[in-house]
Amino acid sequence: MFPYLLRRLFFVIFVVWGVTFATFFIANVVPIDPAIAALGDNAREEQIREFRERYGLDKPIWQQYLIYMGRLLSGDLGNSLRTQRAVAEDLKEFFPATLELSVAAFLVTLLLGVPAGILAALRQNKATDVTVRILALIGGATPVFFLAVLLQYVFARQLDLLPVQGRLDGFTFPPPRVTGMVGVDALLARDWGVFLDSLRHLVLPAFVLGLFSAAILARMTRAAMLEVLSQDYIRTARAKGVPGRAVVFRHALKNASLPVLTLLGGLLGGLLSGAVLTETIFSWPGIGRYVTQSATSLDFPAVMGVTLLVGLVYALINLIVDLLYAFLDPRIRYA
Amino acid sequence: MRLVKAVGLIAALSLGGALAQDRTQTLIYGGDWSDLITLDPQVSYEFSGGLITDNLYETLVKYEGTDLSTLKPGLAESWKVERGRDTWEITFRLRRGSKFSSGNEVTAKDVVYTFERALAIKGPGSFLFTEIAQLKPGATKAVDNYTVVVSLPKTASPGSFLSILTFNIGGIVDSETVQKNAKGNDFGKEWLTNNSAGSGPFRLVRWDRGSQVLLEANPNARVKPKLQRVILREIKEPAVLRTALESGEIDIAEGLTPEALRALAGNPRFKTLKADSLRLNYLGMNVKEGSPFANKLVRDAVRYSINQDELVSGLVQGNGTKIQTLIPKGLLGYDPRTPYTFDPARARRLLAQAGYPNGLEFELLVSTGICGGGIPCADIAAKIQSDLAKGGFKANVKAIANAEVLRTYRAQNHQMVLVGWSPDFPDPDGNATPWANFEARSLAWRNVWNDPTAIRLTNQAALETDPAKRVALYRILTDYVLKNGPYAVLYQPAVPIGLSAKVEGYVRNAQGQVRFENISKLP
Repeated sequence: MFPYLLRRLFFVIFVVWGVTFATFFIANVVPIDPAIAALGDNAREEQIREFRERYGLDKPIWQQYLIYMGRLLSGDLGNSLRTQRAVAEDLKEFFPATLELSVAAFLVTLLLGVPAGILAALRQNKATDVTVRILALIGGATPVFFLAVLLQYVFARQLDLLPVQGRLDGFTFPPPRVTGMVGVDALLARDWGVFLDSLRHLVLPAFVLGLFSAAILARMTRAAMLEVLSQDYIRTARAKGVPGRAVVFRHALKNASLPVLTLLGGLLGGLLSGAVLTETIFSWPGIGRYVTQSATSLDFPAVMGVTLLVGLVYALINLIVDLLYAFLDPRIRYA
Repeated sequence: MRLVKAVGLIAALSLGGALAQDRTQTLIYGGDWSDLITLDPQVSYEFSGGLITDNLYETLVKYEGTDLSTLKPGLAESWKVERGRDTWEITFRLRRGSKFSSGNEVTAKDVVYTFERALAIKGPGSFLFTEIAQLKPGATKAVDNYTVVVSLPKTASPGSFLSILTFNIGGIVDSETVQKNAKGNDFGKEWLTNNSAGSGPFRLVRWDRGSQVLLEANPNARVKPKLQRVILREIKEPAVLRTALESGEIDIAEGLTPEALRALAGNPRFKTLKADSLRLNYLGMNVKEGSPFANKLVRDAVRYSINQDELVSGLVQGNGTKIQTLIPKGLLGYDPRTPYTFDPARARRLLAQAGYPNGLEFELLVSTGICGGGIPCADIAAKIQSDLAKGGFKANVKAIANAEVLRTYRAQNHQMVLVGWSPDFPDPDGNATPWANFEARSLAWRNVWNDPTAIRLTNQAALETDPAKRVALYRILTDYVLKNGPYAVLYQPAVPIGLSAKVEGYVRNAQGQVRFENISKLP
């Protein structure tokens, strides 16, 4: 097990190196001057020159890359050209919001996707199955921005039930910052009013973000369940008189969960990095919105920081998924 | 025990509303504040930073209401400008009894500290002090506790300096508090990024980046605000801004689309406002040798081809003012005359006279983003393109990222650009020098327009201290640039703002300043 882990972690380093290289290359192709993007139209020539010197933008690209990599190896992500502070600080500020939203969206995914998939498989080709499949098709095909604006219109403007933006109501005093996740911080401060308010603010963005993956998960769960349900051991279990519920949950679901688990890993990674639109529309101060703003001003260190973070999280999730395989399927061993 | 906890939880949940702050005492101001990078008055040079720091710090002199041409007393109750042998001597008399949020009194040493701090930190706006005002370290002196004298070289304009002082760079900081929190030689720069130490009507409570800035009434302020709390909520999407206003999540929405503004105007729950800006959207023509625009007749033909009335009332939907001269409405020296009328026949004649009887083809560079007044720049370019076609031009519109437009423009590599400009400080020279003085390496330089008459007039007007004479000089200059310069000014955009009908006392001047202390909310 341990050598396997080491090998995998070693592999992560290569992934990260590839990410830095690709990002650097792309940044070099885009014909935008980061100094002008950061300083704006009124900036004087001296200011622009100073800015380029301060951030090393006056050096050839390969030198910039080497300098960046050198700093990265000592754990320094550099300074953002746009916010003018350490990228690590920015990530610490914005990542918890994304994490909070992604976890909530992941719950939406699980709570909608898995039961819907199981139900559809058990009632194959019946009305329930058809309904689930149609809903999954719609859920998977609706663009995030359309769904978001539609739900905002219905739930905020027409029904006045849920807020359209932000993590807390403006009239609510935010809890002291501990984890950066407002809901968790509110719980730590035992401030139920604030906690409830943060939940209200989570509902719409989490649903919008989670719906797409819920649709995919439902289809995948359905297919995996159907596959397992047609196996001989299920028939045997049923013939032995095992109650229907036990057959579904203990025999079928556990065996169907392997492919689902692989998908879940990818979905969670996707939620973490795919919140760009959702965060923008709901004014959610996470890394998705941060990276969009950074990208438009060619804030290279910031874009790189986010890419690295997301890349690392992806690699980590994949590793965890692989380790969980062994737990779910005793036939799998890592050596 | 468990029962008690459960009851407590339910009680807390239902009390959620009561825990919220008093709504009539809190103002929530929504807008795109994503440019905010610091709340240090001597460092901030972003629009939203200025909006906030103006309410945290007081300046020696200030503008009131929407008037940007009459200086009013701020921390200084009076001031005078005197001609020294080779300097201007500007003396400020401070009011007694003004206090910082710490309780310390505002004295001359804080003014000296603030000005020296601005020079030492060298923030992005420091050129206002070092280049425009030519202020040197050591040139600000405290005569006594309540008197400060600033000496400026004769080549600087005292008028410009005074108007620069109304900016956040002139926001006086509490020297004792700042120095206590300084790290090494940073003059408290790191600390003031997200803390405040001013005498303004509000003090900073917390800044959640990307989300909101929370201000609270400063208990020691001389000017008492009508509200206890102001929250600036960052909302980038105009559609969300509108929904948030309509559902009561925010009280003010700045930066709506013209459509949203029109929809709100018909609803009694809201008020709408088209706030002035000092921005000018214009066409810049490169007049370098060999360019067709080097010929003055061609530039005139462009100006006669544009149907400005139709542009302002149609596409811009009234979110802007028709203007042709280089000093925007709201500043001293503004000239409302618009001598160029839409006359495509005349444009064609001029073009033929210039040697282009079969018309002229060129490239018009434009940003893919939003131009002033909430309109996509590409839409404006399309309108200009069709107008110019009537005058005999074939403009090939090229829409690229804004930073890329600016890069090309700065490298003098454009033929024609459609861009905007806002002055760095609310004085006519904030536009005159960049627009007319080639040597300033700004707009005149980018369009390769090196005109000795314009340069001479610009310098003369900048240094004139008699307001009437100054206005007269700017009349001559603006008229000269209008007829000879490389520009065709299109319009002065307004900022579309929607407010809850309960909000009273909201005034936004063209510089973007809003005095929160004058705002109140009806129950």
